Amino acid sequence: MKKTLKALLLPCALVLLMGADNQEARFQNLGGKIMCSCGCAQMLLKCNHVGCPNSDQMIRELRANVSRTKDDEAVLNWFRTKWGVTAVVEPSTHGFELLAWVLPAAGLGLGLMLVVVLIRTWKMRPAPVAAADMNLAPDLEALRARARRETEL
Amino acid sequence: MLFALALAGYCFVVGVIAAVRKDAVGYRLAETARRAGMASFFAVLVAAGALVYAALTDDFSVAYILHHSNRALPGPYKFAVLWSGQEGSILFWALLLSAYGFVLRLRHKVDQRLVAMASMVLAAIQIFFLILVNFVANPFGIMDRLAADGNGLNPLLQYPEMVIHPPMLYLGYVGVSVPFAFALAALIMRYPGEKWIHITRRWTMVAWLFLTFGISLGAHWAYAVLGWGGYWGWDPVENASLLPWLSTTAFLHSVMMQEKRGMMKVWNVWLIFITFMLSVLGTLLTRSGIVSSVHSFAQSSIGNWFSGFLAIIFAVCLVFYIRNRDHLRSENKLESLVSRESSFMFNNLLLLGACFAVLCGTLFPILSELVRDVKMNLGAPFYNKVMVPIGLSLIFLTGVGPLLAWRNTSVGSIKRNFAIPATAALLIEAVVGFVLYKNGVRFWTDMGQIYAMMAFCLSTLVIATVTSEFIRGGIVWKNKLQTNIFAGMYQLSRRNMRRYGGYVVHFGVVLVVIGLAGAAFNQDKEQEIGKGDKAQIGSYTVIGEEYTEDDNANYRSQAALLEVYKDGKFLTRLNPEERFFKASGGQPVHIVANHSTLREDLYVVYEGLNPDTAHPIIKIIINPLVNWIWIGVLVIVFGTGMALVPNAAPVSVPVRNTVAVAQMEERGMHPAGAGK
Repeated sequence: MKKTLKALLLPCALVLLMGADNQEARFQNLGGKIMCSCGCAQMLLKCNHVGCPNSDQMIRELRANVSRTKDDEAVLNWFRTKWGVTAVVEPSTHGFELLAWVLPAAGLGLGLMLVVVLIRTWKMRPAPVAAADMNLAPDLEALRARARRETEL
Repeated sequence: MLFALALAGYCFVVGVIAAVRKDAVGYRLAETARRAGMASFFAVLVAAGALVYAALTDDFSVAYILHHSNRALPGPYKFAVLWSGQEGSILFWALLLSAYGFVLRLRHKVDQRLVAMASMVLAAIQIFFLILVNFVANPFGIMDRLAADGNGLNPLLQYPEMVIHPPMLYLGYVGVSVPFAFALAALIMRYPGEKWIHITRRWTMVAWLFLTFGISLGAHWAYAVLGWGGYWGWDPVENASLLPWLSTTAFLHSVMMQEKRGMMKVWNVWLIFITFMLSVLGTLLTRSGIVSSVHSFAQSSIGNWFSGFLAIIFAVCLVFYIRNRDHLRSENKLESLVSRESSFMFNNLLLLGACFAVLCGTLFPILSELVRDVKMNLGAPFYNKVMVPIGLSLIFLTGVGPLLAWRNTSVGSIKRNFAIPATAALLIEAVVGFVLYKNGVRFWTDMGQIYAMMAFCLSTLVIATVTSEFIRGGIVWKNKLQTNIFAGMYQLSRRNMRRYGGYVVHFGVVLVVIGLAGAAFNQDKEQEIGKGDKAQIGSYTVIGEEYTEDDNANYRSQAALLEVYKDGKFLTRLNPEERFFKASGGQPVHIVANHSTLREDLYVVYEGLNPDTAHPIIKIIINPLVNWIWIGVLVIVFGTGMALVPNAAPVSVPVRNTVAVAQMEERGMHPAGAGK
């Protein structure tokens, strides 16, 4: 069992760690979390339209921040401070904004627990007595057949 | 509209009285209520027709027409004026609702008592919307002074798909009212059996089909018009359409548990209640202006009405559920964790988990503003992180679920059924990985591309599963009818249209997923391209040939003519354009030029003129596999259509009476099928 678990976890860990220290990848990744503040409603690295008053400066700032610190959250916080909280489209992992991450996971977790409890309850419940086994009186049987006929599509 | 309100009011009040009386008088009253409900459709139709007529005849004395139309607007877009503003769109809601009600009341013989109660519920919903159009958002407000021309239709809506997209989406939103009405009616009446499920199955599928088609048309419109190269931006209003779609999808799956095994009755009733509430919530989000979106209408107090309506719906559902919940007991128990029943439960968990995640993301900015007084944005990076793992798990279940048996599945059966699909999935994954590697794509360095690879693998698993289901069943029918395998597969599908239509829908869904996964490999470039200038992206070379300007009554435009070469060979000419609509103060709209193939789209946007050089700025994007999204949607539509068709009658297997055939042949007769 342990071996299976390790075998399953190892590729997941590898996947998550791959490329973590690549500066260009960090730049691209962070640039996809910041919005251009010129009002074009585009992500920073997508908003490369000629004449944009902000994107060139913001991209330069992002590059400088990425090379200055290895903490991605610090880079995003720098942008939140300078350009306002709406500049970052991914909630932070601290304080109130952490709730945005926790809620979906908590919802799924609770749902999973509910499903497991439901399945366990159902499995433990005695099988219901089949209607056919109830040995109804003939007149009741006729009524049941009639009800079935009348409610059938 | 007042007459329509009176008729809907009569239908509701007299419907309640008739339901209480339950005698001959009650029966007659119910019949009058039914007829009043049907007549309300014609009254709303006349009102909607009057508004369209005012738009077509440029009657700018009507404030709504003045604000949403202009003289130069082409005819079909004048028709679309009906749903392009707040007031008109609510009238359109009311029209579609009364149309659904008309069909429902017309088909009352399917079950007169249940339909009468459902009609009463529907009349209550109609009353709400008719109150809105009569007293809160009246589209027939008259101007004090007559204007020479109108303000024009929102330029973003002046695109052919936009004439179809909103009605499709509205048909979906409004369509879920019918299963909701039946579910609530069955609960109120403590109606025995699963008849309401049988009756509403088609209604739910139709509503789901419209929602699917409406959402995909919207995505295609965004792709073709908004000019940012994508089709889904996780905009709050886009999310609002996705929410009922997700819960309806969950309902369409879990309802099978109730039909086949008499289980999950409470779940199903609440699923359909939630679906209806989500469709009202979507309408609230779009109309209140509480979320900022390219789709939303102006901020207004109408949101309070929808909030109140939502609270009433919830209270009514809760009260009747608490009163009659003993009626919803499960008839069977779950026998094994590895069974079709369990797979449906996990499928529902994931679909509702996805629904909850989207709801959280959509409402979180509102919560943030309420709690901290701080506005915030939740964009694609957040949704992609949360939704992609859920989506991949769903695709996995789509592949696994159909291979599990009802009640219990043995380990041997799992091994036997999974061997070929799993091998195919791994094999295709290896081939795709190798091809990408040979093309210089190091997919393991990018999380998005890793997810895309997982999506390809799981999609192959689903395709292999669906194909193996068809082939296995087809072989059985081939042997039974002594025919070929394709005829066998046809017969198989005709005998169980719902199941095999469902498989076709699954196939369509994975095609969409493959298309979505392609986005991980996008490339883009923006460059100023003057005459003779070149831009290189991937294997494409784009050369500026000409750029022009045009002017007509509705808009002026700028366009570039570009030559495209692929690997040095001439491929095509593209003509991206930007239009500035006059009635809307010169608001620009991109007309994207797209060279589309099954492998990739070369998507070219005219971004405007550089004021310094007067050369056009062109944005070029390579979108791999995007066409598969639209093909997938068509397959889904086909599959749903299949599932809506009734099954063929059971076939009697021909048994050759050799003696009789020999006797006939002796007499020179050729019996049917002889010689095959």
